[in-house]
Amino acid sequence: MGELQVEKHVKYILAVEKRKDNFESVVMEHLRLNGAYWGLTTLDILGKLDAVDQDEVISWVMQCQHEDGGFGGNIGHDPHMLYTLSAIQVLALFDKLHVLDVDKVSSYIAGLQNEDGSFPGDMWGEVDTRFSYIAICSLALLRQLNKIDVGKAVKYIVSCKNVDGGFGCTPGAESHAGQIFCCVGALAITGSLHHVDKDLLGWWLCERQVKSGGLNGRPEKLPDVCYSWWVLSSLIMIDRVHWIDKEKLAKFILDCQDTENGGISDRPDDAVDVFHTYFGVAGLSLLEYSGLKPIDPAYALPVSVVNKVILPCRP
Amino acid sequence: MDEPDPLELLNHLEGILESDPLIDEIGFIHPSQFVLLNEDVGTPSTSVDSVQTTNFRTLFWIRDHKLGISTKVLFPLYVAAKNAFVEAYKNYKLLQRDDKHASMCCSSSSLSLESELMKHSRALLILSCDFGTAWNSRKLVLSKKQSLSMFMNELIFSSVILSHSPKSEQAWSQRRWVIKMIAGNCSNLQEIMERESELVKKLAERSKMNYRAWYHRCWLVSYMSVEQVLQEFNKSREWAGLHVADNSCFHYRERLMLRLFEESEHSQDQDASFDPELHKLLKDEFNWVEKLIKRYVGREALWLHRRFLLTCWIRYFACGDHDRSLASNQRNIRAVDIDMLIDNELELFRSCTILPDSDFEDYQAQATFAATYMVWLKRVLCFIYFFNLAVSFELFTQLILYVLNQQLAGALAIDIQKVETSRVKSLLTNVCPEKSLLWNYLPELCM
Repeated sequence: MGELQVEKHVKYILAVEKRKDNFESVVMEHLRLNGAYWGLTTLDILGKLDAVDQDEVISWVMQCQHEDGGFGGNIGHDPHMLYTLSAIQVLALFDKLHVLDVDKVSSYIAGLQNEDGSFPGDMWGEVDTRFSYIAICSLALLRQLNKIDVGKAVKYIVSCKNVDGGFGCTPGAESHAGQIFCCVGALAITGSLHHVDKDLLGWWLCERQVKSGGLNGRPEKLPDVCYSWWVLSSLIMIDRVHWIDKEKLAKFILDCQDTENGGISDRPDDAVDVFHTYFGVAGLSLLEYSGLKPIDPAYALPVSVVNKVILPCRP
Repeated sequence: MDEPDPLELLNHLEGILESDPLIDEIGFIHPSQFVLLNEDVGTPSTSVDSVQTTNFRTLFWIRDHKLGISTKVLFPLYVAAKNAFVEAYKNYKLLQRDDKHASMCCSSSSLSLESELMKHSRALLILSCDFGTAWNSRKLVLSKKQSLSMFMNELIFSSVILSHSPKSEQAWSQRRWVIKMIAGNCSNLQEIMERESELVKKLAERSKMNYRAWYHRCWLVSYMSVEQVLQEFNKSREWAGLHVADNSCFHYRERLMLRLFEESEHSQDQDASFDPELHKLLKDEFNWVEKLIKRYVGREALWLHRRFLLTCWIRYFACGDHDRSLASNQRNIRAVDIDMLIDNELELFRSCTILPDSDFEDYQAQATFAATYMVWLKRVLCFIYFFNLAVSFELFTQLILYVLNQQLAGALAIDIQKVETSRVKSLLTNVCPEKSLLWNYLPELCM
């Protein structure tokens, strides 16, 4: 089994961040804040966060913020929950949450909650359990969960549970490993995991492992490195991770590395990107690969960061 | 040839879009493909074309309302479109703020800024389909105008984007936003629902198991009338039969069935809780899936669909609140029904776990799915077993019910024994050794 190419992945992430001279990189500029979270969290898990200029990053992140408290995916882009969580997570990585006007950001998020407990992604109203997770994770990191009706938020998430034990983006929507992570993560953070049928969901999640050792996100799909994160973190949260073959999964992730230029792809021999590099490294961290910082399965941040943010009662 | 000026490229693209509002498909084409495409069209008379148009001929290709853009110009085109959009959006928002102060609404400058914004956001989205801010700017204009024809045009524009990027989350989301906006005051909503459903079917053909597309179709269900739900259920059957590995399509059928069950529960009074039509619909689906399972060996989606059907059967026809109000003869019929069902499933299990001598992966997969299906069956049966006991203790004063429940539970207890845990376990370990960790735990769960 090949080893994790730490130095090459670090080099790859730093290089990707700078590239702005081709179509492939500029068409992703609207979600650059997500990209920053993926890249920087990977660097932190690899123990190399100091390779970036944090003042530069923080000043750029803060320029993505709007009057209403929400963050856009880049400077000048409309605010959305997706990028607001990434902004909070990036600041948490650098232990710089205090630069935020906590009241303003948390009011933006709390202000979006609907009567039925659900959350839209922004003022335009598309509801999705991903946004429930984002609201709950963000507010927990800011210690502002009391600003929303947690009971109703939980009730809405539970209403998205399917007969197969999984969760979809709204009630009645097909189960999807990514949505399951969001729902289970939100329930874990709010201490509501008793709503999950752990055996049934664990069964569905374990059926995602295919012969190569990789995981898919839905029945009959090809394996993809990103599900190493979505499925694995969910299995850990519901305490059923001993039901899958972890060794084979680690091998599958390592086989998806570009051993020459760094980066990880969705499947062996495909083109690499930051998204899959993050999910591959985060997956290996959940598998307790040696030399990696442990990552928290619910907050999707290094455990050391979560401990700093959540545990101590700061003045 | 000199590199074309990015602004000229943008003007040219926007000109094409303006001159042919019926464009229904867009694609990015490698320069080498242009030669072939242009040969295909035949040589045009160059005398009427300006030099510039001739240059663009190797960069843009249009025919039969299909537009191709050369991958060679995507980068400069994107930069120009983005800059033009950002400028237009900024000006539009500024004017809106000023208009608010001056309480005017339809100044000519606001009209021209609106059309600029719509034009540039359109070009930008063709190049970068998930540029959320560009979609938002269009929603801003549309919600201000509240014009039905503009809303309908937005649906068309979104399908053009989907023709190129069928997984674009933003393009799908824009459709739902438009439908929500017009749902209240639009006379042909059912017709729109039908067209939406057709669009998903068409795109699902090219983009297999597209979660966003099928989610959209499921989302439509709550806007459909019961008749339409039934129609969709019947119409989608053929497609599902031809795409037996598409879990999303079977999930769509499940969504439709659940809606029918919900409607039936709402519409019926306490005395007549048994809906024979739904009973038949479920039975037909059961038989149909069994045929598919036997014809297409080793398809996970089919077995998962059967798990769902079994659960529905138990939930809606074997136990539940309705049963308490049933006459005893009807209750007995159901106990018999369940008995037959279990026998049928055991037979299916047997026939699907016969492994041919040859080492075909499909047969091993089939045996794995059949065995895990047995675990599911047992799980569901345990559920009724315990459920009925609980109910009978709760209602112990109703002696007749108590006796009936015990009979049902007693019969089921025997059936549970029929499925031997150890056999299922050793079979699973044999046909699918790579999941042995799961098999160590799973078959034990329901005992």
